[in-house]
Amino acid sequence: MIEERFKSILIWIGYVFMVVFCLMPFLYMMLISVSSSPDFLTKLDNIEFTFKNYYSVLTSKSLHFIDYLRNSIIVSGVSAFFCVIIAGLGAYSITRLALPGKMLILFFVLAVSMFPQISLIGYLFKFMSTLGWINTYHALIFPYIAWILPLSLWILVSYFAQIPKDLDKAALIDGCTRWQILRKVIFPVAAPGIFSVSLLAFIFAFNEFMFALMLTIDYHSRTIPVGIALFQGLHGEIPWGNIMAGATIAVIPVVLLTIIFQRNIMQGLTRGAIKG
Amino acid sequence: MGYRTFSELKESYAFILPLIIFILTFILLPVLGTFINSFFRDISFLQRKFIMFENYKQLFNDSGFWEAIRFTILFIVVSVPLEIILGLIFALILNQAIPFRGFLRACVLLPWAIPSAISGRLWELIYNYNYGLANFLCIKLGISTGPINWLGSSLGAFFGVVIADVWKTTPFVTIILLAGLSAIPMDLHLQAKVDGANFLQRFYKVTMPLLKPVLIVALLFRTIDALRIFDLVYVLTHGGPGGVTTSLSLYSYKYFLAGDFGYGSAVSVMLFVIAFTLSLIYIKLGRFAELGT
Repeated sequence: MIEERFKSILIWIGYVFMVVFCLMPFLYMMLISVSSSPDFLTKLDNIEFTFKNYYSVLTSKSLHFIDYLRNSIIVSGVSAFFCVIIAGLGAYSITRLALPGKMLILFFVLAVSMFPQISLIGYLFKFMSTLGWINTYHALIFPYIAWILPLSLWILVSYFAQIPKDLDKAALIDGCTRWQILRKVIFPVAAPGIFSVSLLAFIFAFNEFMFALMLTIDYHSRTIPVGIALFQGLHGEIPWGNIMAGATIAVIPVVLLTIIFQRNIMQGLTRGAIKG
Repeated sequence: MGYRTFSELKESYAFILPLIIFILTFILLPVLGTFINSFFRDISFLQRKFIMFENYKQLFNDSGFWEAIRFTILFIVVSVPLEIILGLIFALILNQAIPFRGFLRACVLLPWAIPSAISGRLWELIYNYNYGLANFLCIKLGISTGPINWLGSSLGAFFGVVIADVWKTTPFVTIILLAGLSAIPMDLHLQAKVDGANFLQRFYKVTMPLLKPVLIVALLFRTIDALRIFDLVYVLTHGGPGGVTTSLSLYSYKYFLAGDFGYGSAVSVMLFVIAFTLSLIYIKLGRFAELGT
């Protein structure tokens, strides 16, 4: 079968291209992070392997790398946690309770998710300044929760809608309150969905840039994307080795989460986008 | 839906209330505030003053604003089709019975999963004139005879941003299209095969028509997202050289940074109006796949 052969050759070319295209920048990042000088491509015969970039990023207090990473993990973790609970309550109300105007709320929330961030930030900055919240964790956590809620709501609605309503009725007859049903019946049954949403919410918060750029000032609350974006050398020359070592450490959490939970992330994203 | 008792109604409101409060306070209120601010002269250390449409009038004569519009549109027109085509190819491959499929899907997801500010920094190094990976490959593969001035020339910077963005967002398109592909029943392909259609014919006559709704969703989603591009240009080019890669978001941000909240708001209101119009179209088209049922 010439046709089948041709097709499989095409697939293999695409296969190789896809792997190289997606992974090469990562490999390059890791290579630079362990070489003594960023210009190693021009002197391939003379490569010097070193861990000093990692050492200086992890130990040098003045770089504040560890502070940025800690801020990022706290802010993203707290945002994801509250986001799942609030979206879960909302999704329960939409799929299970006699809420009027459900479709209107869903489409309103969908429209909100497409607002450009820049059309919020000017006012948000003033708002946070008035409250005196600039350069604090909560200045990021509150907008992050709001910003990630639309997607979370849509995904959870699509999961909750698949759970048979008889479960609720049985629990109601047994004397459970709605809150107990949500906590003891719906959340456990929709656990894969809850998990997908938590992961996505964490990744979105972890990757957010513009709010963090405007609403933080220094290492007390600055997150890792902003920290790395604004990372400059002390003496003019950009310290690429340090930046790439920092970037490698910074992406380890999301890369691990992505590789391990690839299926959940795909499912979550698909439900969020296609069902809309 | 049955009858509604008052307590049921109260309960349903109570459950949705936190969500509504968060979205109203931290999204809708700021958008409204920005909109109101755009009618003011609101510069740090100066008296705030209501000036009606002055900011908008100034906008129409501002060449920087039009340049930002031009870049944003060009960026969408070039990068989104590339992402859709590449995403379609990736999705077609991932939908085949190939070895290490789970691992490959994870690989494809990776560029999407990392912060775009960090990938911006990574691409900044890749585009380095003297020792970056891009020039190394271009010369080794014979694409170019000498090093390309990626971030220092207007054409180089434009395509630099486009390539970095394609790398970052093709995974998203791939995921959406893969979901669309796996929903196409295998029987249709087998039937077409029995009828003597080769794989290209099967792609055009079977796959494409069935995939069209999903393609439109991906296209609109990407367009709205590309419209708001900020992180990548902020980190990779700072909008340069000479402002040629300044997107609308970045243009507005630069005014906020300088303390001119009135004018910056006017710029972002314009962006908001464009994005909102597009998202209404999206929502209208999106109704083909009614929620969860």
